[in-house]
Amino acid sequence: MKIEKEPISGQYGKFKINGIDYRIYWEEAGQGIPLVCLHTAGSDGRQYRALLNDKKILEKFRVIVFDMPWHGKSSPPENAKVGNYKLSTDFYISQIMSFINGLELVKPVVMGCSIGGRIILHLAINFPDKFRALIGLQSAGHLDPYYDISWLHRQDVHGGEVCGGIAYGLMAPTSPESDKFETMWHYMQGGPGIFKGDLFFYKFDGNIGNEIKKIDNSKCPIYLLTGEYDYSATPEETKSLADTIGIEMIKMKNVGHFPMSENPKEFLKYLHPVLNKIS
Amino acid sequence: MFKSLIDDNEKRNQLSIMAQYLNTSFMISTIENEYLVNIEKGVVKNVEEGPFVMPSYVFKLTAPKNEWIKFLQHIPEPGSHDIIAMLRRKVLKFEGDLYPLMSHLLYFKLLLASLRPAESKNEN
Repeated sequence: MKIEKEPISGQYGKFKINGIDYRIYWEEAGQGIPLVCLHTAGSDGRQYRALLNDKKILEKFRVIVFDMPWHGKSSPPENAKVGNYKLSTDFYISQIMSFINGLELVKPVVMGCSIGGRIILHLAINFPDKFRALIGLQSAGHLDPYYDISWLHRQDVHGGEVCGGIAYGLMAPTSPESDKFETMWHYMQGGPGIFKGDLFFYKFDGNIGNEIKKIDNSKCPIYLLTGEYDYSATPEETKSLADTIGIEMIKMKNVGHFPMSENPKEFLKYLHPVLNKIS
Repeated sequence: MFKSLIDDNEKRNQLSIMAQYLNTSFMISTIENEYLVNIEKGVVKNVEEGPFVMPSYVFKLTAPKNEWIKFLQHIPEPGSHDIIAMLRRKVLKFEGDLYPLMSHLLYFKLLLASLRPAESKNEN
């Protein structure tokens, strides 16, 4: 029987992050300019499968997606305990830089969604000369809590069910149901307290105020794309961020918080022109 | 507005499986009207329309009628497509013991969304 093979290959490696060893899993495809993709809170690198399979992108870009520690196929560190995971800005930056240095990537493009869309702003502030370009999907400078995130990790509530329920609503009603289901499924498979632990960065530690003004688009080009159905990082919030940086934002119709996985076909229409500019 | 939740239980067989251990009563308020919904083993057993004298329920969802109308469109606009989106816009209020709601969040989202008209119905 002939099967249809995908061009994606996966690998494990040990990376030192802030002095501690982590076993990280990543997938990649294509060749050329390194494009490192960062998944959303509580999910994993599977969100970028459409990019890893997109022939047009793979001709010019080496697309690389890693699972953050504690997520997907990446392991928690030695002596980890359930309930003590909390993503800090420092740890998030350190894992990205350790991964890039570990793979000896020179001036990669980094694209992140949601928490990834926030951390690229921190990268732009702290290391503008290290990147060829930065792409923020669903980026906002800060987010005040609008629901009680303690529901995401309670022993009397199934974590997969509630995290999936939260993720489902963040997608557009117009996105294909099968892609929405798979996006939700990734959330249903997260470890206990991991989504909530990531949101510590998203809603508290990683909030950026006036520091946004330090971003210099001439040192490192930044592109911001946000789905119209996202109520977590709304297009209005991305617009305000883009105005402060002095760039245009791209509002994507018919997608929500997870453009790359909930409606890849629609998302790629917006991403291709951006990548063309970068290459 | 929400009276028809009692209909189409058969079409919601799959949904009921997602809440097979859920027994609860909740109130939906449009400010003008109230609807008391009783659920047994994930199946809507009764929907009563107010006004009520002493209604007994576990939790309550309150939004103005016009916001519920926007939510119930075939393809709702951004911000009206999900109850948490409405919560974020501060047009919907969750009150009471939220345990049944949050432990069956997707079930309740899909239950309410099941009242949206199908595309074919919209075209007719």
